Amino acid sequence: MVFQKDPFNVIIGGVGGQGNVIASQVLGRILLPKGYVITIGETYGASQRGGAVMSHLRISAKDQFSPLIPEGQCDLLMALEPVEGLRILGQYGNPSVVSLINTRPIHPIEIISGQTPYPDVSEVLRRIGELSKGVWAFNATEIALEMGDPIFSNMVMLGALSMLDMLQIDRQGFEQAIGGLLSSGRLAQNLEAFDRGKMAVEKI
Amino acid sequence: MMNGGLRALEERVFDRDLCVSCGACVSLCPYLRSWQGRIVKLDECDLAEGRCFNYCPRGKVDLNELHQRLFGGPYKEIEMGMVRSVLMARACDSVWAGRVQNGGVVSALTDLAIKEGVIDAAVLTDREVNLLPRGHIVSGREDIMACTGSIYTSGPTLEALNRGPWTGDERIGIVGLPCMVLALAKMRTSSLEKRTPIDRVDLVIGLFCTWALDYKSFMGFLQKRFGDRTIGKVDITPPPERIMKITAGDELHDIPLDEIRSFIRPGCHVCPDMTSEFSDISVGTVEGEEGWNTVLVRTERGEELVKRAEAKGVIESQPLPGDKLSHLKEASLLKKRRAIDALKDRGELEDGYLTLSRELIQQIQSESKEAP
Amino acid sequence: MSIIAQDTPGETVLLMGNEAIARGALEAGIKVCAAYPGNPSSEITGSLAGVADEFGLHVEWSVNEKVALEVAAAASFAGLRGLCTMKQNGLNVASDFLLNLNLTGCEGGLVLIVADDPGALSSSNEEDSRAFAKLGDLPLLEPATFQEAKAMTKWAFDLSEDLGLPVLVRTVTRVSHARGNVLLDELPRPTKKPRFDTSRPRIALPVLTNHKLLREKLERAGQVFETSPFNFYRGPEKPELLIITCGSGWMYSLEAVANLDLNERVGILKLGTTWPLPEQMVLNHLSKADHVLFVEEVSPFLENNVKELFAQNCVDLGLKRFSGKATGTLPDIGELNPDIVISTLQDILEVFYEPVSAEYALRAKEISDQLVPERPLGFCAGCPHRATYWAIKNALALDGRDGFVAGDIGCYSLGIGPSGFSQMKTLHAMGSGTGLAGGFGQLNAFGLDQPVIAVSGDSTFYHAVMPALTNASYNKSNLLLLLLDNSATAMTGFQPHPGTGKTASGQDAPILDLEVICKALGAQVEVGDPFDMKATTETILRLLQDVEGVKVLILRRECALVRGRTQKKLFNMEVDQDLCLGERCGCNRLCTRVFKCPGLIWDEIAGRARIDEAICTGCGVCAEICPSLAIRKEVV
Repeated sequence: MVFQKDPFNVIIGGVGGQGNVIASQVLGRILLPKGYVITIGETYGASQRGGAVMSHLRISAKDQFSPLIPEGQCDLLMALEPVEGLRILGQYGNPSVVSLINTRPIHPIEIISGQTPYPDVSEVLRRIGELSKGVWAFNATEIALEMGDPIFSNMVMLGALSMLDMLQIDRQGFEQAIGGLLSSGRLAQNLEAFDRGKMAVEKI
Repeated sequence: MMNGGLRALEERVFDRDLCVSCGACVSLCPYLRSWQGRIVKLDECDLAEGRCFNYCPRGKVDLNELHQRLFGGPYKEIEMGMVRSVLMARACDSVWAGRVQNGGVVSALTDLAIKEGVIDAAVLTDREVNLLPRGHIVSGREDIMACTGSIYTSGPTLEALNRGPWTGDERIGIVGLPCMVLALAKMRTSSLEKRTPIDRVDLVIGLFCTWALDYKSFMGFLQKRFGDRTIGKVDITPPPERIMKITAGDELHDIPLDEIRSFIRPGCHVCPDMTSEFSDISVGTVEGEEGWNTVLVRTERGEELVKRAEAKGVIESQPLPGDKLSHLKEASLLKKRRAIDALKDRGELEDGYLTLSRELIQQIQSESKEAP
Repeated sequence: MSIIAQDTPGETVLLMGNEAIARGALEAGIKVCAAYPGNPSSEITGSLAGVADEFGLHVEWSVNEKVALEVAAAASFAGLRGLCTMKQNGLNVASDFLLNLNLTGCEGGLVLIVADDPGALSSSNEEDSRAFAKLGDLPLLEPATFQEAKAMTKWAFDLSEDLGLPVLVRTVTRVSHARGNVLLDELPRPTKKPRFDTSRPRIALPVLTNHKLLREKLERAGQVFETSPFNFYRGPEKPELLIITCGSGWMYSLEAVANLDLNERVGILKLGTTWPLPEQMVLNHLSKADHVLFVEEVSPFLENNVKELFAQNCVDLGLKRFSGKATGTLPDIGELNPDIVISTLQDILEVFYEPVSAEYALRAKEISDQLVPERPLGFCAGCPHRATYWAIKNALALDGRDGFVAGDIGCYSLGIGPSGFSQMKTLHAMGSGTGLAGGFGQLNAFGLDQPVIAVSGDSTFYHAVMPALTNASYNKSNLLLLLLDNSATAMTGFQPHPGTGKTASGQDAPILDLEVICKALGAQVEVGDPFDMKATTETILRLLQDVEGVKVLILRRECALVRGRTQKKLFNMEVDQDLCLGERCGCNRLCTRVFKCPGLIWDEIAGRARIDEAICTGCGVCAEICPSLAIRKEVV
């Protein structure tokens, strides 16, 4: 399959500690065996500690691209946290971007301290909708918490992403990709998270 | 009365160096703590109104309004506040002799009040090592004994009232300095949600006070003078001698008062109250009569306790001789006069902590005499 | 199995730049790798540590970068291939040895990878470590892609052996911390026996002889670089604008040229060998363009070197226009990205570019500015450092003498910001907090009466605090050092260190006890639990009052992230909504407004605090601070 655009630019965003890096790596490992040239740029290091994090994923049939996507050129956004989705659209959005959003907020320090309020999530989603061609959203964290650990949110989101049918993500590819990456003890749970994400996502 | 929170407390009291470390603002919230005789702000609090400023005896004090709310009448007895009767008294039980300075009336009355069930417990002041005063909750004679003796450094006694531990239904008595007694009056009449046992305070015994020393700087002075030697008993001899007698290590030392005046808390210089005017009973020394106390009975509650103490033979009393009474009034009025002068010098007579009518100020100025 | 150990030559896999470097070293047949962790370099040695047993390597986390380079150099002296990795600050530490090692040369291939952090995304400074190559007359390579990171590392060992010199490879965050396709090659299993040739001592003396030899080696490197496949040109024969670039600048330049459709007008000379320059090649390209733009990270290194070269040859080359960081055309601070290069090309060549309509771009920016809050870094939920700084803050406030924290490098550096209650007032190099505090301690004699608290993490202690502590003891300074022992090099990815009882490759190691070391270095030592904030505050206060001498308070609690990997929460936390005072007098949101643990939520509508069950790690610390005992902890 050839993407409608080459390179096809995906941004995965969230908060340090949400498993952003793993999600982008899994996605890369699903797509690379299908013959694509993948480039992933990641922001982490110090930003692991609760800061805003982003992974830029570039999928091309022919070339390696810069690990940073130029502004305004995101084709698909997967945000593990709602305002992080909006933050990314502010810089990388364009009228044809499709957005998949985990609706569960994580409060930054100034919101915890009450200096500024966290914006109303439905307002955030509405604004994301205004800036996107399509929006898919659900509370992935709640599903992960039901499974006993919020850390599964990223895999729940990848399951949801597979439903969008924009990238070639299948369950088998996912299983292979996480095989060499995550501890074998948690494979079953990660697969469950993927499956539950598939069921839960809704277009709004 | 003007409202304010921690910011006002900081700007109007701490920054102006008016804090007297009474402890009224401590243990109400996580932002204020007492340490080494000082009240320390740990974090900012932006509430427009808070108990800390509301209870502070240097926060905002309108004597007339406070008097009105507490005693139901205007503030007009400018010499020593409202007084029902004046006595000269001393404790009868020899258990207090030698432990206490002067007549032991405070300890004896507290002891009786607990024994008779007038109160269940009392907040007194004791000393940690090296003179550091702190509030101490007592419920029996043994504990009272630990709290006898004079303390010339100011300390956060009222913190103990705020902090407890209390079971929740005990009636409470408090012995404190004029600033503390003033704070208690403010606590009682405050319109803010209390969440402290102030409404269960049934007896307030106020002490006479001319000033208190700042703990940290005074300790620094003593340390320079006496090194690591433990500081024991401290007393100041009555006028005209006025010498601080201090035990350091095993020796008794004399320090002339002039050497320690610079350690008097600035907040004491603006204090108009020598005799704890908002108490039930106020107790002090009798000039020239060692072993006796002056007792000012101010309220019905106070009167009842003093009468009971006399009836039970806990204290004995006689009228305070006229010359001593007028001397006392002079001294009390002089403290008021000096406070007004100090406020004037600071430029805080108008927008300072103390609100007094122009008439009262004039009256104090005209009636007070400079001491010989 | 680790992906870098995959013995499938010809297969393409997805590797992080740092993994590609590690794979390159494996393909070069290294035997020894030594490093001190530091972002963005940490994963190179980290991933090699994971395959050390399988490949019979010695991989170690050394206590600092200088020792690491010495360990790797020893392997080289004995004829084996050695790798040493570090971040830019590390090269400053290692430079003393490096600037002698250049004179003695080496035997087996010796490669030093230094990962720069343009924009200081995870560093206390922004530094271009390429200056050390020029300073030390050492050959320098800069990979631009993941494939090149692997190939260049591999080749660097050959080059090192060829020249008898250590080779510097400079990478940057966007190469090291990015991933892409990498084609795997053979994995050799060398069995060479190490031997130090005593007939060829490695001594820099006589210096002038060895310096001359070094200059000759460098000249030879320049000749080798003329034909290196890592240097190439892409573009028209006579470009209107010549971009000379290296490292991540290559990808940005390509992206910019493609986006602006400038293939016919702009040529790109991509250099992989940046010191010494492949002079003839560069001169050849200079002769074909009148305007040259340099795209490189951090400093105008290539730019100024090429201009030097141009100056020597300007009679032949004629007038040229040079643009880059030195000319202010590109920003000379911060990290580059494709957009910066795009807009620079737009300006120079006057072309139009609008990836999205101006109307959309403006609206998107407005909405995001209006609704999206800042999200600064902070301590994780359950982090012992938050509790430590709480105790420090309260102790310094009670002490009342305007005391402060002399900071050091690690997660606890976040003590400069709100999650550490802004207590940290100095922050420099590894170990500098203790060195400075020792210096402040000497100023008491001149009347300095502010107390100073030095902080150091456990790993930093072994790295550079020990000499500073020794100095304070010996010179009779007054010092209070808080050793924040969280049993990990947490900031860089939880590498083991001499206090953890494990080596890089997971074997048991002797634990070098912090208490014993500090005592041996002349300090009076106490140990506390940072989660007991009340006791910690009192201890700090007490230690501050007693000014004389060198004191160490070890505050021991495992990193919450490390703990969370293997253990359950300590407590289930709950905020009793009836007891919570919220904004009322008596609390005013202490837990959320002041303590600010991310595991707490301020529920504005209810006017109460809540626990965020997705974030809270159940450390129980907030229960201690709640004035109304509304925060309850229940043992799991």
